[in-house]
Amino acid sequence: MAAPLLLAPALVALLIFVVMPLLWVARTSFNQGVDGAYMVSAMTMDNYVRFLGSSWYLINTLWFSIRIAIVATVISVLLGYPVALFIAQTRGLQKSILMTMVLAPLLIGLVTLVYGWIVIFRGGGLLNSLMIAIGVYDEPVRYMWDLKGVVILLVYIGMPYIVLSLLDSIERINPSFVEAARNVGANRWRAFWSITFPLTLPGLYAGLVIVFTLNFSAFAVPLMVGANDTQMIGLVIYREALLNNDLPFASSLSVIMILANATILTGMAFLFGKLILNRLEAKR
Amino acid sequence: MNASQDKAIQVASICRRYGDVMAVDDVSFDVGHGEFVSLLGPSGCGKTTTLRMIAGFIMASDGTIRVNGRDVTHLPPEKREVGFVFQNYALWPHMTVAENVAFGLKLRKRDKAFISRKIEESLGVTGLSGYEDRLPRQLSGGQQQRVALARALALEPQLLLMDEPLSNLDRALRVAMRRELKQLQSRLKMTTLYVTHDQEEALSMSDRVVIMNRGKIARVARPSEVYDDPQSEFVADFVGTTNFFDGTVTAASGGVLTVRTRGNLDLQLTVPTSADVGEPVRVLLRPERIRIYPPGQDGPNVFPGRISFVEYYGPTIRYTVQLDGGESVYVETHNASGAATIGDAVRIGIEPGDFRLIRSEGGRP
Repeated sequence: MAAPLLLAPALVALLIFVVMPLLWVARTSFNQGVDGAYMVSAMTMDNYVRFLGSSWYLINTLWFSIRIAIVATVISVLLGYPVALFIAQTRGLQKSILMTMVLAPLLIGLVTLVYGWIVIFRGGGLLNSLMIAIGVYDEPVRYMWDLKGVVILLVYIGMPYIVLSLLDSIERINPSFVEAARNVGANRWRAFWSITFPLTLPGLYAGLVIVFTLNFSAFAVPLMVGANDTQMIGLVIYREALLNNDLPFASSLSVIMILANATILTGMAFLFGKLILNRLEAKR
Repeated sequence: MNASQDKAIQVASICRRYGDVMAVDDVSFDVGHGEFVSLLGPSGCGKTTTLRMIAGFIMASDGTIRVNGRDVTHLPPEKREVGFVFQNYALWPHMTVAENVAFGLKLRKRDKAFISRKIEESLGVTGLSGYEDRLPRQLSGGQQQRVALARALALEPQLLLMDEPLSNLDRALRVAMRRELKQLQSRLKMTTLYVTHDQEEALSMSDRVVIMNRGKIARVARPSEVYDDPQSEFVADFVGTTNFFDGTVTAASGGVLTVRTRGNLDLQLTVPTSADVGEPVRVLLRPERIRIYPPGQDGPNVFPGRISFVEYYGPTIRYTVQLDGGESVYVETHNASGAATIGDAVRIGIEPGDFRLIRSEGGRP
């Protein structure tokens, strides 16, 4: 009797703040948008047809968002994996300092973060001044208000999640697993690929789910540092809903975004399940 | 063949420092081919560190380690070709039983037929046929330990190192596995170095026991020698239970020493150790060597006392007897004759040959 009662506040909050808005969005996506007015209640597929029937939207918004999310997520993993391996070997103060550095992007508000990055990355900013001063290149390189800046920032924000979830997996690995592999004849490299790496896949999977979702639905980063051609789907939804006042179209885009993300995550769950999770998790 | 090749393991003066602490301090011993040697000692004595240095998981700060005459001191673990069985089994959780066993064989690029024959063979030997496709988490602790053993045996190592392999099992299983392991080792004539803190395990399985204390070797001897003639206080105390009597030699004639203890008992000893009259000594006596007599019995080495505590073990009973002189001794008897109870007046009797003598070191009484 007590357990359901304890769940009640969370369930009510979930219902009010997640389920109901989602249902509202789903319903709205079938309404008719009207210029200069709120919207007209309807049951039409127009909004979906407008998006899915347009190769421009499909290529420059949906596929573009997926590509950027994949690229930024992969780079986060490539950079974050060695960092997690290194931190797992440290102890005490050294570990605290490294963890603080890794978690910094999560501790600083996104807006502060982005404006800080602008100081560094803009045309006459620190990075360009430095690179020109030491002669790496002659002309300032355009990072801000460009795709490069968007990817760099997504990687920067995504990395802490990757490192944290990997670190958890790595630290769970019994050191004697690697010793046992070395004992039967595996060198360091082979022991890593055959033992350590597969056992970190659950952590990698958890990190990928979070970071891919964040990247795919990114809105603030492309808004603040993107260019006219960085039309990521989250940004387009924002523009349609709040600038163009076309709630039905924005809602249909939201539904498409959620379904696309769910499809990709399902694929990932299947892949990782095949790879490792089915073996490590207890069968029921 | 030179002397070093006669030995499966030769450890010479190895040390391991951690900062200012010497975890292993100048340890040397040999293990002969086919021999079963245990490293026994309390936790923190350096026995596991020693084993791990031989396996190459820890590098020796000093000294040399030879395996079958080959100097492996500076080789990485994968080049040492010694089998290792871990206390926590260390089975790779994402691999099936067969995959665990096959991993080392695949690294050696053996062909498929050979590998599957080896899997079958080593699982057969350890009694796990039919478990090939199970994952480690689907096995009990005892089964997991068998897989760990099969994994080591599949590579036909010339040497098997085992780090407290039975300590995570419950007692009945531990005793059964101990016997099975020893029989398997004898049958395969597998040279084995076995780390344990369990004296029963070390005594019952080993050809020789290396007893370690605080990073150093305290004694190397056959199990019966270790128990019957400990030669040092530490060994006497760590292996089994011992009664200690501190005293002074008051007479020495015709191979019989008389020792006057602090509690004013006159002990008559016939021991191989010689001592001078007036010398302070420590006398050791195993509890099961003492006999309990009813009051009235008299003779040399018969002393009156009173039973102050009784521990009932089943097959044996341990009495604590408070002697009239003030000393108290443990007496262990078979659970056969009528048991005495607390407060009973008794006499204890000791054969002169059952005492062991330690000459006090550094003037300590």
